[in-house]
Amino acid sequence: MTIAASSADVAAAALRHVAVGDAEALVVDTDEQLTRFAGNVIHQNVAERSLRLHARVVHDNRMGVGGAAGSDPDALGKRVLEAAEAARALSPPTDVPPLPDPDTGPDGPAAFSSATATATPELRADMVKEIAGRAVARGLRAYGFVSTARRETAVASTRGVDRTAESTQASSVVVMMGDSGSGYAARHAADIDALDIGAMADEAVDTCLRNQNAETLEPGMYEVVLAPYAVVDMLEHLGWVGFSALAVQEHRSFMRLGERLMSESVTIRDDPRDPELFPYPFDYEGVSTQPVDLVRDGVCRGVLYDTPTAARDGVASSGHSLPQPNTFGPYASHLVMLPGDNSVAELIAPVRRGLYVTRFWYVRDVDPLRTVITGMTREGTFLIEDGELRRPVRDLRFTQSIVNALADVRGISSERRVELGEGESGVLAPWLRIGGFAFTS
Amino acid sequence: MRDLAERALDAAAAAGAEYAECRVVDRSVQHLVVKNGVVAAIESDDDEGLGVRVLAGGAWGFAATCRLDGGSIDDCARLAVRIARASARLGSAPVRLAPLAPAVGDYRTPTRIDPFAVSLEDKLDLLLRVDANMARVPQVRVRECSLEFDREHRYFASSDGARIEQTIIESGGGIDATATSDDDVQRRSYPNSFGRHQLCAGWEAIESFDLAGNAERIAAEAAALLTADRCPSGVMTVILDGTQAALQVHESCGHPTELDRVLGAEASFAGMSFLTPDLLGSFRYGSDQVTITADSTREQGLGTFGWDDEGVPARRVALVDTGIFSGYMTSRESAAVLGQESNGTMRADGWSRLPLIRMTNVNLEAGTSSLEEMIATTERGVFLETNRSWSIDDRRLNFQFGTQNGWEIVDGKRVRLVRNALYSGKTPEFWRSCDAVAGPDEWRMWGVVNCGKGQPVQSMHVGHGAAPCRFRNVKVEAAL
Repeated sequence: MTIAASSADVAAAALRHVAVGDAEALVVDTDEQLTRFAGNVIHQNVAERSLRLHARVVHDNRMGVGGAAGSDPDALGKRVLEAAEAARALSPPTDVPPLPDPDTGPDGPAAFSSATATATPELRADMVKEIAGRAVARGLRAYGFVSTARRETAVASTRGVDRTAESTQASSVVVMMGDSGSGYAARHAADIDALDIGAMADEAVDTCLRNQNAETLEPGMYEVVLAPYAVVDMLEHLGWVGFSALAVQEHRSFMRLGERLMSESVTIRDDPRDPELFPYPFDYEGVSTQPVDLVRDGVCRGVLYDTPTAARDGVASSGHSLPQPNTFGPYASHLVMLPGDNSVAELIAPVRRGLYVTRFWYVRDVDPLRTVITGMTREGTFLIEDGELRRPVRDLRFTQSIVNALADVRGISSERRVELGEGESGVLAPWLRIGGFAFTS
Repeated sequence: MRDLAERALDAAAAAGAEYAECRVVDRSVQHLVVKNGVVAAIESDDDEGLGVRVLAGGAWGFAATCRLDGGSIDDCARLAVRIARASARLGSAPVRLAPLAPAVGDYRTPTRIDPFAVSLEDKLDLLLRVDANMARVPQVRVRECSLEFDREHRYFASSDGARIEQTIIESGGGIDATATSDDDVQRRSYPNSFGRHQLCAGWEAIESFDLAGNAERIAAEAAALLTADRCPSGVMTVILDGTQAALQVHESCGHPTELDRVLGAEASFAGMSFLTPDLLGSFRYGSDQVTITADSTREQGLGTFGWDDEGVPARRVALVDTGIFSGYMTSRESAAVLGQESNGTMRADGWSRLPLIRMTNVNLEAGTSSLEEMIATTERGVFLETNRSWSIDDRRLNFQFGTQNGWEIVDGKRVRLVRNALYSGKTPEFWRSCDAVAGPDEWRMWGVVNCGKGQPVQSMHVGHGAAPCRFRNVKVEAAL
């Protein structure tokens, strides 16, 4: 399908319809395709082309917001700006955060691959065929997807902000199923040619074959080795409940700046410039993204800002804004945990009796202030005895404080993986060995 | 809309589609938020586009676009056919669809007061009054209230001859009060958690919620939780309010009775189901107090419509009949696997997503008891209100829920407010322990506005009719 206009053109056209005051136009142009498979055949196969304009108008201590999907830049801009202005005019005067001025930050790279941007349905089908072939060869059934996405984002404002970036993402997830157990693996990269589909399928096959006929294990406290697929959930939930300045300002964050809450070996950052993690140069306000040390050597060091929360604290935004206005606050979009120096085998070796967990499932906050989460293990939970993976065990429910777990880290792998969390942001995580983890049923 | 759909069907046929359907959707949303006395958002959003789903080479393809000129529609239909042919490269058996008589007709959500005709001034006035009432409780640090109104105009056309036009109108609103102390954070929500309660209805639904009249009470409850005792632990009787019963139904009966999930279509994401076809008609899912239906005809439910997104008429289906597992929610493709006709539960999230089997209104039907009778006849237990956390495994067996409010019950009386309550169990054992469901006077239609399923993820609005209900011998504890 042809592109009617660039996202920058749409943003510029929208600003021509500003009647009074300042305005900001955010345009997201997406071309996403996903090929989904179940039982070694493709059962859902979709493509979506959308262009959305989101605009806010600020004047006289009043703000209005509009949004629409469309293709004609002028008609779209007129429709959205008129709706935003109508809402603004009716709003009572209130404490409206200012629109950001253009910053002078360096325009960093965005993760982009032309191979991903031009990937075809036939290519994705062939990739699925390769995955299914490896399943069939071992008598297994494969379930999962291969997806490609191209996004162009533009932010422009009457205050001079003018940013545009084009990015891509290729992802694949597979669950291999046998007669009495399953295994999981995933890969994500900007460049579809960097997705090692074969290695991913082999990893899931290996986990699946080892995870047959799992036995019941009594719940209780166990030492654990968590694969990155599981660690990602913990980091993502920390981001949701505590890494934003808004959570701190509203006294609902666990973060106590300057205090050591975690093991000295734990350093967590949000780094939108990390080349392994879909780097992106600006946020949804057009503010340059900055790396932020959240926890360094176990000590709480910083939180993430957007323009409204930064104004409240008298600091600069760190470039972590969602589309404004929102009540969620700044968003951890590029969480990174720094690696250690152990191999995975070295993490498992000292464990006398514990569990190896491939991934978690349906993780939810139980007590956000204490970072208590609950969830299930899934697709590959193994008993470790005397430093070796012995046998698969049935999935267990855990209810555990993340901060307490990260205070008891006894080893971190040097190898890391990129995984998408439930919020679909990329997270770069290692394997972790943790002294005690509470399994409740 | 009709012309756009006809063009898409013609282009799909010309490209070689064996079957094609087109959904044109125009959705308008108005969203207002007041937070801590400040108007945080007055937002309007319009979203229009079309999606084309085809069978070609015996396999599915789907493409969607917001570009509605003739050339872009042709491109979209041709891409759907190309994608279907790519799907067929893996050589699967051709898709078979259960037979369906093509429908022609229209449907509109019944409303008394068009919510889009109510002025913004009146809506903001309500929210500011709600906020002011919450502000009377000083321990509440974060006050948030919102209204949302959705109007979705859909046109469905299929190459079989179906031509269906529907307008669905939803009205929603809610309150969240967050109280903080030096070492705790407690939240109360009204009428439901997850930001708001929503119904297929007009402004009259907002009036019925009485948000302003409940705001100070909810704020005071949030503050009271800061000093409440922790929930007692042990195996005891649990009474759920209607909102929590609705979510329990959603997670432990709604999802496991989606037939696509049972057949593996969601295995890589949401998972599968313990309710396998060999159990149909004989498995004791719950006690004889438990009857659960999927009913897309129920008044005000978020899953109420004239036809589903395959053109199958709305209807009522028994999922659990007096405790026995008795049916699935199905699509034309999945129903054919069981030799059945579709019972009309295919729903798509807007124009850009393909339809999946989704809950309509999955209802725990009313019983004969009452909340007060249940409490009066409970020796030791807890009455739990309003969801705080929720989690269940990928086969929908092992669950754990937390609630915002808890009331300890001793010898038939509520004796104290308790906080951080959790309860957990295994789905069939839990529902078999249900010994009472409140009657029609306490039965309400609730709305869940954040049901996720599919890849790419689709968010669906679903309804759940429920009343307070009681369960024996449940594991209860306080969060760490």
